[in-house]
Amino acid sequence: MIEFHNVTKRYESGFEALKNVSLKLGDGQMAFITGHSGAGKSTLLKIIALIEKPTRGQALLNRINLNNLPRQRVPHLRRNIGIIFQDHQLLFDRPVFDNVALPLHIQGYRPQEIAKRTRAALDKVGLLSKEKSMPITLSGGEQQRVGIARAVVHKPMLLLADEPTGNLDPVLSREIMQIFVDFNQVGVTVLVASHDLRLIEELDKPRMTLNRGQLILNDLDDSDDEEHHGWQ
Amino acid sequence: MAGNRLRRRNPPTVNQISAYLLHHLQSLVFSLGKIYQAPATTVMTVAVIGITLSLPGGFYLFLKNIDAISGDFRSSTQISLYLDLKTSEKQARALERDISGMDHVAATRFISREQALEDFRRDSGFGKSIDTLSSNPLPHTIVVEPGEIDTFAVRNLLNRLQAMPEVEIAKLDTEWLERLYTIIEIAKRSVAIITILFAFAVLLIIGNTIRLDIQNRYQEIIVTKLIGATDAFIRRPFLYGGIWYGLLGGILSWLIVEIGYLAISGPLERLNLLYKSDMNLITFSFQDFIVLIASSTLLGLAGSWIAVARHLNQIEPT
Repeated sequence: MIEFHNVTKRYESGFEALKNVSLKLGDGQMAFITGHSGAGKSTLLKIIALIEKPTRGQALLNRINLNNLPRQRVPHLRRNIGIIFQDHQLLFDRPVFDNVALPLHIQGYRPQEIAKRTRAALDKVGLLSKEKSMPITLSGGEQQRVGIARAVVHKPMLLLADEPTGNLDPVLSREIMQIFVDFNQVGVTVLVASHDLRLIEELDKPRMTLNRGQLILNDLDDSDDEEHHGWQ
Repeated sequence: MAGNRLRRRNPPTVNQISAYLLHHLQSLVFSLGKIYQAPATTVMTVAVIGITLSLPGGFYLFLKNIDAISGDFRSSTQISLYLDLKTSEKQARALERDISGMDHVAATRFISREQALEDFRRDSGFGKSIDTLSSNPLPHTIVVEPGEIDTFAVRNLLNRLQAMPEVEIAKLDTEWLERLYTIIEIAKRSVAIITILFAFAVLLIIGNTIRLDIQNRYQEIIVTKLIGATDAFIRRPFLYGGIWYGLLGGILSWLIVEIGYLAISGPLERLNLLYKSDMNLITFSFQDFIVLIASSTLLGLAGSWIAVARHLNQIEPT
């Protein structure tokens, strides 16, 4: 699903967020990216989500090279990805239902179909009763779950989550992570960036650790070892 | 995992064309909803557009009326024939009959010397001084109304009349008309310039409103881009917003001009009475109305298009 070959990302400021990162995440796998803040977790996710482009190296999303993807192909490729943000990025001017329905709306689903799928997604995160609420009236955990419902409503093949539990207490964090595990069990590829090491250990999923832009630990079996030595 | 190709898929159970039309409809309604939700901004923008467009609209109507009035003058072009003082009234009347039978002559009117003097005494206010004259200095006059408005034909007629032995002077009263037409032409061009400038102003007003609208919905644009919205999808509600502004502004400008003309019509009727004239105010025809509304709507679309092209592409998630 995701392949990085010696990906380096240098921002215009000269800061190197990723240095020679190579990794491979297979279809249907679930993995965590850990590391201190500023280690490059977000940059890695942004490259996969087509928000940033690698400066050097190759990033592939299901064998599609992301380095020089024409601009007009970006939206359609993004429809295969569900993205969950630490600050959930909900739109506060409309109720929960409309927030969750947005991806379906963009893809031109019929209203009846939108209603059906939106309610199914809300049901999955346990918020069906809140569909008419405005996001501002929800708790942090509920808002995050609305964000998850929006990310999965169109049944993406890949779920990306950037610090999804960053602002939540341990109980809520565990609930959120369990939702990701559930999605993974039905075949969705999941990549979660988090620094919540205790929780990650509980879940027993492969882990990649970034430190100052370099991949210093990779539990994933099928990564290319020979390309990996670069960081030393 | 089943079906693990990253597909450029079409959503199931939905026809792409109807989805496209559906989104157009949704954008149209949505942008109208936005306008409804922000009445203060909308009212101000629409008011500025309406007032701006009412100026060229008003000038246009003014010119249209002047044109109509001057058209009446044009058809009343006449030639005055001042006859030789030695011509007797009998000869003069015979001449009038001859002329009235000529080609291109619609009507003739005879004014005798005596009548002319009487008229002059009455109208000029020089009555007493005229009484001191020993003889009547005024000639018999024949007023000829040409049957055609064509300048060449009228000139031709004038030359023939001038050539008659009894005619001392043949005078065509068109010089002042030509001046009037020149002035109207200048006014028309001025109105054209004003219209272009004000259309440009409307373009800027709508462009700026849409730009602010884009800024206000920055977050929404980012989020929709992140979940796979195409540029066209994001652009659409803003373009419809511009169309609404243009349409409403156009209707408002029409109302302003119509109300303005209603306000003038009272005094104008009194003027009509005083001059015993028959001037009718012309307001916008249906065609004018359609042109006004269509052009303001187009300006709205163009203005929002410029704003969207300039600003929407700059917004990318980071």
